[in-house]
Amino acid sequence: MSSIAPVAPELVIALSALFTLFSDAVFRRRERAGAWIGAVGCLLAAGLSASGGSGLTLFGGQIAVDGAALFARTITLLLATAFFVWLAGAGLRGGGVRQFAALAMFGILGALLVISARDWVVLLLALETATMPAYVLMGFERRADRGLEGALKYFLFSMVSSVVFFYGISFIVGMSGSTSFAATTLQPGAIGLVAAVFVVAGLLAKLSAVPFQWWAPDAYSAAPAASVAFVSSIPKIAGLIAFARVVALLAPQARGLTVVVAGAAVLSMLLGNLAAYPQQDLRRLMAYSGIAHAGYLLVGLAAGTAGGLRAASFYAVAYAIPSMAIMLIVAGVGVRLDDFKGLASRRPYLAWTMTLLLLSLIGVPPLAGFTGKLFVFTAAISGGLLWVAVLGVALSVVAAGFYLRIVRAMFFSEPVGTPTAPAPSPLSVAAILLCAAAVVAVGVMSSPLLSIIAFTPH
Amino acid sequence: MPDSVAVVPFVVLAIATVGGALMVVLSRNVVHAAYWLLEVMIAVAGLFMLLSAGFLALVQLMVYAGAVSVLVLFTVMLTLRRREDAERPLDLSWAAGGVALAVLVTTGAAIVAYRPVAPRGAAVAPNVASFGRLLFTGWALPFEIASVVLLIALVGAVWWAGGDRP
Repeated sequence: MSSIAPVAPELVIALSALFTLFSDAVFRRRERAGAWIGAVGCLLAAGLSASGGSGLTLFGGQIAVDGAALFARTITLLLATAFFVWLAGAGLRGGGVRQFAALAMFGILGALLVISARDWVVLLLALETATMPAYVLMGFERRADRGLEGALKYFLFSMVSSVVFFYGISFIVGMSGSTSFAATTLQPGAIGLVAAVFVVAGLLAKLSAVPFQWWAPDAYSAAPAASVAFVSSIPKIAGLIAFARVVALLAPQARGLTVVVAGAAVLSMLLGNLAAYPQQDLRRLMAYSGIAHAGYLLVGLAAGTAGGLRAASFYAVAYAIPSMAIMLIVAGVGVRLDDFKGLASRRPYLAWTMTLLLLSLIGVPPLAGFTGKLFVFTAAISGGLLWVAVLGVALSVVAAGFYLRIVRAMFFSEPVGTPTAPAPSPLSVAAILLCAAAVVAVGVMSSPLLSIIAFTPH
Repeated sequence: MPDSVAVVPFVVLAIATVGGALMVVLSRNVVHAAYWLLEVMIAVAGLFMLLSAGFLALVQLMVYAGAVSVLVLFTVMLTLRRREDAERPLDLSWAAGGVALAVLVTTGAAIVAYRPVAPRGAAVAPNVASFGRLLFTGWALPFEIASVVLLIALVGAVWWAGGDRP
């Protein structure tokens, strides 16, 4: 048993996903059973991940669990538990909860493997496992032409970025003669930098950072809000951890790589925060917000220090929790800004929860978003990126404008027409409230959590 | 590893390859052309086998003959509405012929000019058995992840195709 301990969470998730696929044989017509299997499986896997500790390796070093992996896997699984509880309560308008849950679980399996991968081939296959279900989830309403168009855009773009990523990896494997992270050596000069930039470009695309961001608003605004809630949050944590490992591995060998990352960070913050302003569709708004937050994450990575990597990993969590919860509220209330008008008088608890989550994204103390931004910008300043940090803080203030527009709509506007959204089920509200509590808890307990995150050298 | 290959099997396989390729271009029915393509793939796998490249022959059979040709057949059959649509006019365009000739000349020149730089033959030539052993020991984890990726693709395809209705 002890020998498979490092991959015990992955095994639990894989078995739950397979069980969910065939669960109609057991549960007949109760298709929300799939969501329950997901919730129980993720909670069990989170327990196994937390109790398994760190410092474990398996498969000849292809998989290793360090402090950062322990932190990211446990939080990913807890967040996924909240998502499945919400799914069990709210269901899906078009049906297909069982297939939705199974695909989401496969995505989580991929994310867990991405987090602990220590081998280029394992990493690229795990990234495919994490993104493949996302294509289907984004186009899950199979009779909606726009949704399928968005999913197709996402699929084609993601495939191209994967190919660029594979191409970079093929250079790296050719130069180091091995696929393991530990043996990675880049040749000095242009060829090493080209390989590193190709790999980083592939990862930037997965985080939807500039200049690979344009698919996100189109794909998000055509997809079901429940799919956006999943795709925009849970795989991002894994992607960031992999990104941090790659930067830690390649930046010392490829001079100039951190400049590329810093450039992507600045452009993402600028474009994301400014383009979010005129949006009326909340899915589109959150897509641009996601681009902006990818920029904040990259600021931590561009610092290139151990502290920067830890700060970015923490911020990935501080972004993912409120982002997912906001999209879950959107899934229940409606996707247009007009749907939120007068929400405070109709469902005050949802309006106040939404306000709390938005304040965390803005970065108001003592919420998770504030401590995350504090860590990231502190790391940037100590890494010599003072002007990037100043720009980031200034843009956070700009961002407050479009987030508070939602708050104004909820509290100070009359409802448009007669709101048709049905009352949310108690279970789905419970999941959203849990996320809101987590935003507060992560913000308050930021120091002990940050001390868990440690990237062991490869 | 022998420096030359048996003449009779080579001539048979070469005729099968070139003749099949001609039939792909010349046959009037696209379904027939697809089947000739399958025949070409199998003949090329035979050529690989003749050159003691067992693994390449297997990949050729599984990927090109097994997957690519069948994909072409599926595409043809799914897009054709009537039996008559499969008939196509024989279109001999000079531009396409020119491109084909250019590829032929370039490839021929490259083969004639090729001088092997690698040492001729390793001490132990890797064979399919050693490859298989490695695939299921050191590379077991990537192999299993790849199988999960294919399963996800299958589930997604079934959902989009509208089967397994909720």
